[in-house]
Amino acid sequence: MDSAIAQKTWELENNILTVETPDPSSDSIFYYDETAQAKFQQEKPWANDPHYFKRVKISALALLKMVVHARSGGTIEVMGLMQGKTDGDAIIVMDAFALPVEGTETRVNAQADAYEYMVDYSQTNKQAGRLENVVGWYHSHPGYGCWLSGIDVSTQMLNQQFQEPFLAVVIDPTRTVSAGKVEIGAFRTYPEGHKPVDDPISEYQTIPLNKIEDFGVHCKQYYALDITYFKSSLDCHLLDLLWNKYWVNTLSSSPLLGNGDYVAGQISDLAEKLEQAENQLAHSRISPLGPSRKKEESQLAKITRDSAKITVEQVHGLMSQVIKDILFNSVRQSNRSPNEQSGPEPMVEA
Amino acid sequence: MASSSSSGLTFKLHPLVIVNISDHYTRVKSQMNPPPPTSATSNSNNSNGGENNQSPPRVYGCVIGVQRGRTVEIFNSFELLYDPSTHSLDRSFLEKKQELYKKVFPNFYVLGWYSTGNDAEESDMHIHKALMDVNESPVYVLLNPAINHAQKDLPVTIYESELHVIDGIPQLIFVRSSYTIETVEAERISVDHVAHLKPSGGSAATQLAAQLTGIHSAIKMLNSRIRVLHQYLVGMQKGDLPCENALLRQVSSLLRRLPATESEKFQDDFLTEYNDTLLVTYLATFTNCSSTMNDLVDKFNTAYDRHSRRGGRTAFI
Repeated sequence: MDSAIAQKTWELENNILTVETPDPSSDSIFYYDETAQAKFQQEKPWANDPHYFKRVKISALALLKMVVHARSGGTIEVMGLMQGKTDGDAIIVMDAFALPVEGTETRVNAQADAYEYMVDYSQTNKQAGRLENVVGWYHSHPGYGCWLSGIDVSTQMLNQQFQEPFLAVVIDPTRTVSAGKVEIGAFRTYPEGHKPVDDPISEYQTIPLNKIEDFGVHCKQYYALDITYFKSSLDCHLLDLLWNKYWVNTLSSSPLLGNGDYVAGQISDLAEKLEQAENQLAHSRISPLGPSRKKEESQLAKITRDSAKITVEQVHGLMSQVIKDILFNSVRQSNRSPNEQSGPEPMVEA
Repeated sequence: MASSSSSGLTFKLHPLVIVNISDHYTRVKSQMNPPPPTSATSNSNNSNGGENNQSPPRVYGCVIGVQRGRTVEIFNSFELLYDPSTHSLDRSFLEKKQELYKKVFPNFYVLGWYSTGNDAEESDMHIHKALMDVNESPVYVLLNPAINHAQKDLPVTIYESELHVIDGIPQLIFVRSSYTIETVEAERISVDHVAHLKPSGGSAATQLAAQLTGIHSAIKMLNSRIRVLHQYLVGMQKGDLPCENALLRQVSSLLRRLPATESEKFQDDFLTEYNDTLLVTYLATFTNCSSTMNDLVDKFNTAYDRHSRRGGRTAFI
């Protein structure tokens, strides 16, 4: 029973909301209630409270589609739209589809190029039985984190004026693959001139130097929403069975090989940031003011955290390589003693 | 009607297609059987009865992907309209949707169609034939939406059509084909994420735990599969089971592949990678150290501040 206790402790420490295994009667989230949605549209409870929507629920299908599309773009930003509905203070994303638009970080409202596509697609979808409306847009930031750039903020503010309720989602496919977990963020902007009452501390993420200014200027103009995921009972069942075929891929994936470039980029970016921090520290020694010194210190602390993160990912990748090596390479004849059976020792010389 | 295929094509299926079909089916089913309103408390019996009134709907759609030589890789799918009166799929709708998808995924072609149900039926051949002018040998992907917990295998079957001579009449019948699940790394991670609802973020300890748990379960699977093989072989040795030479050959070739790589170059590369990671760890620890030292120096300076004398503040001891 130790493992059960350990699992419960772990779940508690990490606030894991165990979604009960959905049974067929609770697939009600998939039902689209036209009248209720229309009523909600008319009431517009978000008009008075800029912080009205607090949560996002994303379906398994939408997540899969968005991540695959983002990854297929490689290093080019891609975008698409999400369809869904609202439920109190939560926005529910049921499905997503890609738009044939490129280079979304160069102009506001890149969506304008794809209006015709959007209209056609929505029409055909309604015919095929998907009744939900467009409820947001998503785009990718390959390699530089989940946040809204200046252009994104302007786009989203425009959307929130005319197409409410609307949500912005950002996915980083490069970091997803490197870290082994999905990097995704959901945001809504505050209207012009609104100052957030309390400043919720968002999860820290490292931003490359060439984008950090853009991030800093606008980071107060939007807030992040909590993301949870859901899946239907059939999805649950299928995904469980899928694991039977999947374990081979888990074992054979080698993140170290796949992400060599990205990690090298991260390390060189860190080196630049270190130089910057060093210069700032050198200057501050002349005038030892308390508060300004704290700023440089926190920059050094940030760099430390970033380097720790990169290291952790590298070590994870190395661990899987070593395990695979032990499993498949250190085979000995049965007549030798088992004492000689050990993996490669961590020698420092080659 | 279904025997095994002899066309020699290998099929690769992406999990996105499976989730797509499942979502389509769940949507249509829940739209047909609206859930009871939340205010109803004692109507649970009624709602259960209501759900059983309508048999599970059959949904139809199209699968798209790439065909390279003898490998057919199914990447994505979309829904289609079914006309029950003519037992065929709406053609103009198909073409319109195909155009839209072409704009976003220019490499994908229509490879076939999908449906839900228990087994391939006669009427399906009709639809299959209609699709043959888009792709000369379409595939038919069938998903069985009945949730059967005893079943260990994915309830997805892929059928091809072949011309067989039955009773002297050449007819097209469905034959089953085998397939493998193919995935890109990003797909695997998001499927993993949703399947096990792993926490996103969290301290390094939880990430480590998650990573190791993943590898552990994969190794457990490998172990159990090897055990099955081992038991089978022991049984064959004892004589309980008939000797199957083909299987023995496969097992022997599998075993002869271990050790997987044992060349000098591999060892060199492996150790270089190992050293690189250790170097990164070293650098990170260095940075951490210097940051802590910096903090210490600053705190020292604040505590033993000799430059400003405000009200005779001297060193804390």
